[in-house]
Amino acid sequence: MPRAARRPAFVILGLTVALVGAVMAGVAFGAVPVSLADIVGAVTRALSGRGGSGANDALVLGLRIPRVAMAALVGACLSGAGVLYQALFKNALADPYILGVSAGAGLGAVLALALGGVGAIAAVLVPASAFVGATLTMMLVVAIATRAGRMETLSLLLAGVAVSYTLAALTSFAMVMRRETMARIVFWMMGGLQSATWQYVAVVGVMLVAGLSLPLAYSRELDIILLGDERAGQLGVDVKRFERMVLASASLMVAAAVSVAGLIGFVGLMTPHMTRLVLGPRHRLLLPASVIAGAIVMVLADLFARVVLAPVELPVGIVTALAGGPVFVWLLMRERRRSL
Amino acid sequence: MTALGDVALQYRDATLGYHQPVVSDTTLAVHSGEVVGLIGPNGAGKSTMLRAVTGGARVLGGTLEVLGRSLATYDARSLARVVAALPQTVSATFRFSAREFVEMGRHPHLGRFSDLSAHDRAVIDQAMERTDTARLASEPVDTLSGGDLQRLTLAQTLAQEPTVLLLDEPTSHLDLNHRLQVLDLVRRLADEGLAVLAVFHDLDMAARYSDTLAAVHDGGIGPCGSPREVLTGALLGDVFGVSAVIGTDAVTGSVSVTPVLRRGETPQPLGVRVHVVGGSGTAARLLRRLVLEGYEVTAGALNAGDTDHEVAVALGLRFVPLPPFAPVDAHAEAEAAALAAVADIVVVSATPFGSANLGNLRSAVGSGAPIVLVGSLGPDRDFTNGAAAALWADALASGAVAAATEDDVMDAISEVSGR
Repeated sequence: MPRAARRPAFVILGLTVALVGAVMAGVAFGAVPVSLADIVGAVTRALSGRGGSGANDALVLGLRIPRVAMAALVGACLSGAGVLYQALFKNALADPYILGVSAGAGLGAVLALALGGVGAIAAVLVPASAFVGATLTMMLVVAIATRAGRMETLSLLLAGVAVSYTLAALTSFAMVMRRETMARIVFWMMGGLQSATWQYVAVVGVMLVAGLSLPLAYSRELDIILLGDERAGQLGVDVKRFERMVLASASLMVAAAVSVAGLIGFVGLMTPHMTRLVLGPRHRLLLPASVIAGAIVMVLADLFARVVLAPVELPVGIVTALAGGPVFVWLLMRERRRSL
Repeated sequence: MTALGDVALQYRDATLGYHQPVVSDTTLAVHSGEVVGLIGPNGAGKSTMLRAVTGGARVLGGTLEVLGRSLATYDARSLARVVAALPQTVSATFRFSAREFVEMGRHPHLGRFSDLSAHDRAVIDQAMERTDTARLASEPVDTLSGGDLQRLTLAQTLAQEPTVLLLDEPTSHLDLNHRLQVLDLVRRLADEGLAVLAVFHDLDMAARYSDTLAAVHDGGIGPCGSPREVLTGALLGDVFGVSAVIGTDAVTGSVSVTPVLRRGETPQPLGVRVHVVGGSGTAARLLRRLVLEGYEVTAGALNAGDTDHEVAVALGLRFVPLPPFAPVDAHAEAEAAALAAVADIVVVSATPFGSANLGNLRSAVGSGAPIVLVGSLGPDRDFTNGAAAALWADALASGAVAAATEDDVMDAISEVSGR
């Protein structure tokens, strides 16, 4: 057992401190740098009801903080979903992007966007539609990959990829049919956090909490399911019910992330894997630690996307894919002796 | 064996399987304090009977009761507090420590948000000590050997504190020492009141550790009873298609099974008849070898209790059976002579001769068939004051072939029979 796993509280505390640091950096850096004093001042003024009186208050409170908060939430959602998929499918390569769930959520979101709806309605309708898309896609991929009650790693990944492509085509079709919304959708699809607002932060935050709370309560079952479905049943896990709960929770988190940030790959793959390497496989620690680590990764990736070619902004999905692709290949190559 | 406890697990006219029934109309009771062994060929449904309890297979008809309540009234957690199962194989592709792995066995006893209590930890400690895995506690399970992992999984099942334990060929990956260790432990747990239903492939182990054996074949349960009642030559022929010598293990006193011949193993008959004079276990291997090469084999007089007698029975040979220690009297000698007279070749194995079995040698030498004599008849084999030596010398004088080893015997036989 890795030594760190004996002190879960310390690990979580350390990660939280790191997240606060990343958030501060994310708020401070950008096209216009903001000093730490300005940030603290803006937050203090906002909390005491005198928001907006400082020089940089509008930038900090209206743009930077919602954006960084959104990045953190999206990273947390993707990483949390990745942990759940990897446990349920006993597969270190499982991740919302590779399984096609992101694409499903994306199609759901695009349909909602294309059918109209703006403002508060969109803020609820888009994630709801993304959730339906994610859930249906997951069911489809599992059905395709399951043959005679068994699910092979390769067929699961292939089914995910095949379904992803099909859904991407449908998404493009939906976009072409509604040309007037196309630019907005394209921008969103590439994976960006530019449109972050407090309203979306609230919606995604609620979905993260909703998607995470049951799996956190079932962390022991998440450990036991790694022993195989039949063995988990022998040890007292109601496998079918547990599977449905986990898949619904994961879909909820993927839908939350995708509906605000588009398709962002590999965060849900890399972060849980790295966290597991360091902290071991016990979900009681792994799940919350991965969620926080995912938030950190995403905040830093978004910061990088904003500043590397400033004033031009890269879609954050490009950054995560550039970093995550090689990691995926590395995982694939050592897959034969993989251990969760 | 002490008096049996209550029925812990009861199959009542149960039909079990997956989409199709695998075993039908099965009735079997497992009592507390009892080890019931399931034996039978591969694919007969032994594992299905276990998996029907823990949810891997379905109950398609009849009932299955655990502690007097229908299986359907249990949910996964309440069932796991009563029934634990040790699977055939365990794979570990995760980095849990051995202790964390065993802790998973406490799951059905723990509340959703409760942590391991002092009692839980004591149960885990004891489970690991009894399975000799305590020293592995901090090892990652994915680095353990198959045997360690199997014993660790047993510890995991013991952590469940079950009333019923299901074992599916529990020791197939263990070396001899650990195999005995695990089965001794299972036996002890049963003596303490656990009800055990176990699938065995090794019939000797099944006989040694079970109170009751049930043979599963042809889609149902066949004979069921004590090992001595169930493990008979007829059953082994019916269920496994094997001819076997059923004996008693000299040390443990349990039934021992030595397979002699597989059904379908006998080749085309050569049309050559070999009569073997044996005794004291000296002809057992030769009898089997001759049958395997396609000779038609008969044997002289053999006493019950002699290995040669058991092998001759298992091989289905014609011979002259005698009660234990009975002498070859005139009647038996005449019968043996009749068998020898129609043989193409007569072989005298390296058995010692005394007054009781001299008739066997006489019937062989007097048969007129070509004779192969194994070894030499020194004072270590001749307890007849020279009578046997005289017959031996006569035979050699009239052209008998002397053979030193079993191979020499086979060579001599094929030479004499012209093959």
